Amino acid sequence: MKKITHCYSLTPEWQSELAKKLNAELIDNKIIKIPESIGNGHSYFTQIIPGISVLFIDFTLKTPLKITRRRSHKQLYIFHFDLSEHVNLIKINNKDYEIGSYDKLDLAIIDNELESSFKPAVNERTIAIRLLVDKKLLNDFTIMHSKKVETKQKNRGVKNFFYHYGNIDSNSILLIQSIKDKPISSISFEPLLKGVSLKLLGNFFNKFYDLKPINNDITNVELEAINKTKEYLLSHLYGSFPSVTFLASMAGMSESKYKILFKKCFNDTPNNLFIKEKMILASTLLKSGRFNSLTDVIYELNYPKLSYFSSKYYVFFKRKPSEDFVKNNF
Amino acid sequence: MKTIQHSYGADLSWIADFTNQFGGKIDGNFIIIPEELQTGTRYFLDCGEGIIAYYINVVYNKDFRFIQKNLDNNFVGIYYNLTEGEATVNSNSILYDVGRWRYNLSIIDGSLESDYNVKKGSRTFALCIFIKKTMLEEFLKKNNIHFHNIEKIANPSLNTIVRFERMSSESYHILNDLRKLEVGGPVFNLNLIGTVQMLLSNCLKKFSTERIIIQTVNSSDLTSIIAVQMFLIEHIEDQFPSIVLLAQMTNMSESKFKNLFRKVTGLTPNNFFMSNKLLRAKELLEKKQLSISQVSDQLSFNNNSYFASKFKEQFGIPPKIFVKHL
Repeated sequence: MKKITHCYSLTPEWQSELAKKLNAELIDNKIIKIPESIGNGHSYFTQIIPGISVLFIDFTLKTPLKITRRRSHKQLYIFHFDLSEHVNLIKINNKDYEIGSYDKLDLAIIDNELESSFKPAVNERTIAIRLLVDKKLLNDFTIMHSKKVETKQKNRGVKNFFYHYGNIDSNSILLIQSIKDKPISSISFEPLLKGVSLKLLGNFFNKFYDLKPINNDITNVELEAINKTKEYLLSHLYGSFPSVTFLASMAGMSESKYKILFKKCFNDTPNNLFIKEKMILASTLLKSGRFNSLTDVIYELNYPKLSYFSSKYYVFFKRKPSEDFVKNNF
Repeated sequence: MKTIQHSYGADLSWIADFTNQFGGKIDGNFIIIPEELQTGTRYFLDCGEGIIAYYINVVYNKDFRFIQKNLDNNFVGIYYNLTEGEATVNSNSILYDVGRWRYNLSIIDGSLESDYNVKKGSRTFALCIFIKKTMLEEFLKKNNIHFHNIEKIANPSLNTIVRFERMSSESYHILNDLRKLEVGGPVFNLNLIGTVQMLLSNCLKKFSTERIIIQTVNSSDLTSIIAVQMFLIEHIEDQFPSIVLLAQMTNMSESKFKNLFRKVTGLTPNNFFMSNKLLRAKELLEKKQLSISQVSDQLSFNNNSYFASKFKEQFGIPPKIFVKHL
């Protein structure tokens, strides 16, 4: 296996080292053409705005190759978006990660101060976009969301450096797909690449630092149906619990789906919610002074046995119903 | 009617004067204008490389007349204008209707005066890109672009550029994506610069391939083709209405209709319809309110697998994966 080491910087100089080691041709300080002996394809590097550069990789290798990026103290983050339709290996901190193909994890964010190596699969087309972003710049973006940075699930802090490994969101995949088949020699390639890169970053920040918790699992239609059944429950508190089967059919869902969604919406099961509301109602009835005896109250609420009601009431209020009962004096 | 005489330019010097004329103020990158004149957002950003982006998403509460007289003529303005309502541009004493369904892409040389009229109640979404001519020239050179009319574009004494065109549907959807985002903040700026770059890329592609320019199409024919486009967009959820019917709508023969449609939009009627339909499908899926099969039914696809295969053809990934990773 051929091994190559190199390092990144925001400016195009780093390419000459890589090109020399690969025996590749460097065109215009932008394009590295992979020599025939190794494979065919190219990489394309350009600076977008101060502090952000992009490297676009598109090649098919004939011989195995391990490209190791040396750690360097340039303050950079590397965003690696992989859209190859097979699995490549990325080694970070001596741990191998599979990356690539759209239903695997395909996004890696690596600190430049960590060494990583990239092993593309042989005889498959490897397509990836690497964004090099200055840490200072990234701080600007994260300042408004700084609270979130600490709590991001997948970040594994390694001393002060961090790396992240996850999924690209769909819209970004579409963006990369759209650039995949554009010839790099075409005039509109560079602005397109720049545009795509910036939008990728934009999408990333929108997704990971979105402060609004979005309730993605429940559609509006379902929410409406669930609310309808809740209304129904609340307006039929005097009766007995109408059964989940009935409520589910009212919402037009299966029982299991109904129960799961109900729990998601109200953090309680339908029956528990019903009993809770019923007990609150019971307590107001007891205190209202309109009834002659406890039995009258429980019949009003459709309980067949006083002892059952009392025990439930005790569970909720830690008091006996008789303590709260106000008798009708007329 | 409120008349505003202003200048644009490929730097930020025009903004203060422009804002004063409205009696508004500048807040960060926003231009705040009194509510009684207009509601909405105006936002500007220096994209570097001599490019200024000016984002407008407003509803006009009064008739407006903008007279553009530039102090500098060293730039070109590229105006993507998606106004729904009545708007006209008078340039070189020719009157053009602009807006989403008319000419929605205009490229006007900074040395020209133009007169932009917009009626009360119009809803304007526009992105103006001001780019220095020298930058444009350098931009083309830097990108190894050689095409024969480069001098014409860059040299003001030889030629001044005025082009009124319709943007490609690709550009339209790039703009639409931008519109969905909340304005302001560094992340939006990234997206805005990205959008500008992508639009420029599209625009350059158009320049270089020298496709037939719309202005060579007879104007009544153009109106009827655009009417068909509107019709197709309005009925995007139905099945494709057939070339015969569309040709009848325009009073053209089928072959003439097909040719003209292609000239104007760059796509065949069916392709135009399908790609818009799929983009609609994508938007519906993004909202996560409907399942894939519901979307497929709503958009009148005969079966789900056909929908899935078309979706994959257009976007490169099947809808299921798309939904999964949202």
